[in-house]
Amino acid sequence: MIALPIKLLWRSWRAGALQLVAGALLLAVAVVTSVSLLADRVQLALTEQSATFLAADLVVRGPHEPPSDWAEWASQVELRTARTASFNSMVYAGDEMHLAAVKAVDAGYPLRGEVVISQQPFSQLQSDWQAVGRGPQVGEAWVDSRLLPLLDVELGDTIEVGATQLKITQVVVTEPDRGGSFSLFGARVLMHYADLQAAAVIQPGSRVSYRFLMAGESGSLAALQAQLAADFEQRADQHWKIITPDSAEASIADTVDRGRKFLLLAGSVGVILAGIALALASRQFADRQLAQVALFKCWGLRSFEVRRFYLVQVSLLAIVGTALGLLLGWLFHTALLAVLADYLPAELPAASLQPWLVGIATGVLSLLGFALPALWHLPQLSALAVLRSEITGSPMTTAVRLFIGGAVAVLLLYGYSGNLWITLGMVAALTAVAVFIGTLAWLFLAVLRRFFSQLGGLWRMAAANLWRQRLQSQLQMLGFAAAIALLLVMAVVRGSLIEEWRWQLADDAPNHFLVNVAPYELEPVKALLAERGLESAGWFSMVRGRLIEINGAPPPADLKERHESLNRELNLSWSATLPENNQLVAGEWWQADTPVSDGPVPMSIEVELAEELGLSLGDFVTFSLGGLRFEAQLVNTRSLRWESMTPNFYFLFPEGVLEDFPRSGITSLHIPASEKMVINDLLRRYPTVVVIELDKVIAQIQSVVYQVTQGLQMMTGMILLCGVLILYAGVALSMPARLQQSALLRTLGSSRRAVLQLQAIEFALLGGVAGLVAALAAELTLVIIAQQLFAGSPQIHPWIWLAGPLGGALLVSFLGVAYSARSVGLPPLQLLRQLNR
Amino acid sequence: MTILQAQQLTKQVSVSGSSLNILNAVDLALERGESLAIVGASGSGKSTLLGLLAGLDLPTSGSVSLAGEEITALSEDQRAALRERHVGFVFQSFQLLPSLTALENVALPLELRGDTGAELAAAQFLERVGLSERLAHYPSQLSGGEQQRVALARAFASRAEILFADEPTGNLDTVTGRAIDELLFEMNQEQGTTLVLVTHEHGLAERCGKQITLDAGSVVARR
Repeated sequence: MIALPIKLLWRSWRAGALQLVAGALLLAVAVVTSVSLLADRVQLALTEQSATFLAADLVVRGPHEPPSDWAEWASQVELRTARTASFNSMVYAGDEMHLAAVKAVDAGYPLRGEVVISQQPFSQLQSDWQAVGRGPQVGEAWVDSRLLPLLDVELGDTIEVGATQLKITQVVVTEPDRGGSFSLFGARVLMHYADLQAAAVIQPGSRVSYRFLMAGESGSLAALQAQLAADFEQRADQHWKIITPDSAEASIADTVDRGRKFLLLAGSVGVILAGIALALASRQFADRQLAQVALFKCWGLRSFEVRRFYLVQVSLLAIVGTALGLLLGWLFHTALLAVLADYLPAELPAASLQPWLVGIATGVLSLLGFALPALWHLPQLSALAVLRSEITGSPMTTAVRLFIGGAVAVLLLYGYSGNLWITLGMVAALTAVAVFIGTLAWLFLAVLRRFFSQLGGLWRMAAANLWRQRLQSQLQMLGFAAAIALLLVMAVVRGSLIEEWRWQLADDAPNHFLVNVAPYELEPVKALLAERGLESAGWFSMVRGRLIEINGAPPPADLKERHESLNRELNLSWSATLPENNQLVAGEWWQADTPVSDGPVPMSIEVELAEELGLSLGDFVTFSLGGLRFEAQLVNTRSLRWESMTPNFYFLFPEGVLEDFPRSGITSLHIPASEKMVINDLLRRYPTVVVIELDKVIAQIQSVVYQVTQGLQMMTGMILLCGVLILYAGVALSMPARLQQSALLRTLGSSRRAVLQLQAIEFALLGGVAGLVAALAAELTLVIIAQQLFAGSPQIHPWIWLAGPLGGALLVSFLGVAYSARSVGLPPLQLLRQLNR
Repeated sequence: MTILQAQQLTKQVSVSGSSLNILNAVDLALERGESLAIVGASGSGKSTLLGLLAGLDLPTSGSVSLAGEEITALSEDQRAALRERHVGFVFQSFQLLPSLTALENVALPLELRGDTGAELAAAQFLERVGLSERLAHYPSQLSGGEQQRVALARAFASRAEILFADEPTGNLDTVTGRAIDELLFEMNQEQGTTLVLVTHEHGLAERCGKQITLDAGSVVARR
């Protein structure tokens, strides 16, 4: 009893009764698989790319030289390794000297990414650059361009590092693990690890950051990571810290994470849309099965046999549909990759198993949740009732089917995003959409009927038709409006992502920081910048201090070991108002005119740091500033936008507290490539000023952002396809009733043109109202998304209110008329006869 | 040998709280190979009686014995099994499946029973009803009369002992209807089938060996 269901399934396909169901299933699996494959591979690539920010896949950082065991362990599991040591040291050339940020690297460095070098100091021309997969040779030094004017030397000259002399052979434009860290105040000097001993710059007690770099296959990495963690435990050594690409760079990680969230959101929307299309198509398929089931019953098939019959069909559909869906998903994703070729790395890592499993689960669960409920009642049907046309619908109530479909949707969303909050957010939004649409559609239909009854003719008939079948109209609007709303949401979310990144991508985004500008240098530096036509993002003052006590006691030893900020000087600043790009998380901002002389000094801390230090509102923290102690009380916490590229501070105080301590100025500004030599002039005149060049880092961020946004654009297109499928399924489902009316009208003498006009008006009204409702629902969803995903304030999007109704009316009427035009053209008798079967 | 017997067959439905008698204490008996016409005005209960006799529905009271089995004592599945062995149907609206060709429509009940050579048998019956040229045609490509011929071929192909026909010519014009009548009785004769048919048509009813007339659910005339 397997051959016959398969045979009949094939016959249904041949007769065109299965295309919608199969199409919806295929598209559901294909969209999910392609989105999933793309997200998976891009994410792996991004992780790999952020590995280049580490110059490795995995790094262990600590204050001592890494034990030699580690390299042995790594080679046992076939991992490549490298060592680096970073420290600040005076470098000399003749009478000139500079406190440089020295990095010694061994022959293995870098394991990921490349070092970019140049023979042309300060050149911004990529043609002058050269990317190499190694560091300097023994006896060589590669240095920042700005070190050359500072030491008054040129390429080929010699500098002294400790007791050894190194020849400057290259200017280093960037190295992969340079990062944007503000601790690198000095100019970079890259040297060979083997020269360290001769240089003898590292003495017991020197502050050196050693890094042990590893790269290779992910299983081996995980194994070694576990082995290292156990080793730290055994040594009771908490100085070592494991750094993964995810934790490598806060701002990069943030960008990657945001891209991933959006990819997941896009995928989830695809799941829901395809599910709705599948549910609608399945209902139509079930309606077409009624006569067949009635005949089966008349011919003596028992209920369980009918059930088995359809289970075989559904299973076959699941297997074939899912398999083809996976194939189509693969093709979709390769097409996407082809379009994105310019933005993606040439060699993307192979996808993991997960996207395929997600695709398969989607196919099976979609059929179970969206298709099977529509077919479930078939075995129970009374043959007599069907033959007498007494039953046409499904005894499984809409509420039950909605519940099952909803439960499966939640399951899929969760399985797909792996994020409970995104899942709940989507579910809440969709529930809101459903309730809103149900209510609003009813209201609009009532208004339409009243309003159009005064117009007469086809308009009145169209509105009356919609009202008479209001339950059905409401259901269709639910489908249409959900699709339109999701499309609107997609468009806005994608837009606001790009908007949010725009200033980061803007040509004039700050790309340099000026730090350590003494008060007496401030005016001349400003004047120099003004002279060159450079605008800064505003000047901030800061003082340096150490955090020495928390609530009257020194920080616990383990916290101190874990947290670097307790071991070095911190940048403290002040502001009367909450700075731009800062958002209050807890507590109150101080009043501008509050006198600070009474009671403890209020203080604001960046929220994540406060959590890491275990501080809550009301706690007291004691700082040491140049030997002077002062106590402050935590009154609020803030979140920061590090990617804003303007000076941000972990610790902020009100005005009138820190002004008397030795302070320095900091600002960020955009220096175009053509004006890059201003750094040279600035450093010659004010050697203590530190310039942090972020232009290379920003370029790296930009390339990541471009990749992600381009991918999203394609994905929005694919989800639009799902939306169209829903509209199509909805139109097809309502078609028999519409055609019956058309046939009657034509029998009564209406022209084909008039009937088509009526159809067009009816569909346009349906689509228009659905679009209007969708605009409202989209706006509400965006409020939630704006708050949850982007931490921004909600705003009204006027274009939604135009695009929703207009787009809905045009799209639905076009689809509807296109679908019904051929049938309406048939002679009325033939049409009626077809409908009666 | 009595193949179909009904005793005191009554069907009540409840309509907005009050119960309505659709059939009222109907008695009838039919020997193997006999034919019975159930006539009466619209709403007199003809189709309800047919449904009860075929085991598609259960009476409120009374009994039906089909091929020696008391169907009111059987479960739905047992009744289905009984229908599979003994019963065939012809419907007013043909009930051909639009996605199947004429040949496939006729073969379907045989395939469901697991008959090998279903298509061969179907082709033979289609030839018998004069449609050997239309085997691969879909119902939408056939006229009403042709569709009912396909339905007749399907009903007889399953070699049922007792055939229930609900207004088999109700949807056809007079000339076509007559031709279908002819075919129905010819094939009935050839196969020795017991025939129960519901009809409006006086002429068709006259051709049956027995006839009962229903009015408001009660038998008002018997021949």
